[in-house]
Amino acid sequence: MDGQTPLPHGLELVPDAILAGRASDGDTAAFEALARRYGPQMRACARRITGSFADADDVVQESLMQAWNQLDTLRDNGAVKGWLLRITGSRSIDHLRRRKVHPELATAENEATAAGAASNPESAVLNGSRVAALRSALARLPEEQRRCWVLKEFGDQSYEEIASTLKISADSVRGRLARARITLAREMEEWR
Amino acid sequence: MSIPNDNLECGHSLEGLSTYLDTGGIPDPQHLEECPECQAALASLRNLKALGSEFLGEEIAAAGKGTDAWMQSILDNLRLEVRPGRTIPLRSDHPGDTLSETEGAITALVRAVGDALDGVAVGKCRLRGDITVPGAPVTLEVQLAVLYGHQMIGRASALRERLAVALARHTELNVAAIDLAVSDVLQPLQATPPTSEENQP
Repeated sequence: MDGQTPLPHGLELVPDAILAGRASDGDTAAFEALARRYGPQMRACARRITGSFADADDVVQESLMQAWNQLDTLRDNGAVKGWLLRITGSRSIDHLRRRKVHPELATAENEATAAGAASNPESAVLNGSRVAALRSALARLPEEQRRCWVLKEFGDQSYEEIASTLKISADSVRGRLARARITLAREMEEWR
Repeated sequence: MSIPNDNLECGHSLEGLSTYLDTGGIPDPQHLEECPECQAALASLRNLKALGSEFLGEEIAAAGKGTDAWMQSILDNLRLEVRPGRTIPLRSDHPGDTLSETEGAITALVRAVGDALDGVAVGKCRLRGDITVPGAPVTLEVQLAVLYGHQMIGRASALRERLAVALARHTELNVAAIDLAVSDVLQPLQATPPTSEENQP
């Protein structure tokens, strides 16, 4: 910043709350440190919802922009991780809704997810692993159940947060999440 | 087979158990402890949860690191614009000139002073008082983390002194007080870098 000796460890190990506080004061370096810290999980979550890394990158970028502009609405700076993931989940769903306008792209999500389960190199490597089995079981779930499951397990959102993201009731979230889990648990037991 | 029909013979639903897993709430916790059916179903759901975490870990690893090119490209595209905050009037030698600085410039100065001091990281800072009125008393509040092994009180008073000097030199604020709040102790640099999944220091 000014050539003087900074912290011995830079910003990487500075806690979320400090970084978020700095970022809301306009420190772009602190915001970027947060983005680098949680970007991979944001990308993973967006990819599992949208179906591709290309879409996920659009979503992550939009999410970070929104986060930067709304930092002063974050009441608990220590809760920045959950907040970023919530924005990511919500932006991912928006992304799919926009895509639905173009019918030729409407099925891309399912195809991409199914293809990701069947043919992507990392699952080939892990072929036969329990995680690979879970990945393909997830890809076979009905879309609405899969979204609930990903928002819960990858995005760590509450029922109410998922409900507002998906514009359905919290009771529907509870039900779909349970259905998803029951199906996945059954498939995993059969696999075993 | 520990995942039977949606409703267990004991009368409980798997949906209820799934909710219990997330919220810890269930109408009759006593039953849960004693019912083998519920226990077996719950174990199944817990296994799935654990496998889900493992899956997430692999997916995060597959997504890459925050230092990778994809993230750099996203950050480059963002072009973050700094919010200037309030405008602080400055004295001018020539009548008719209107000089000012921004609140954002002051908080940047505070961070620069803090970052230059060994063993501390400055977080959020606030200027309390009407900084738009020249000479109005202003209190600076700064959130602070201190690196493990550094004396908290010593670091805080060193920072307070440096901030007072810097503010007197670079601003015309009438600083009535500098309030420092130490919110965290930073753990020293780890031998292995934290994973992207759980990198809270």
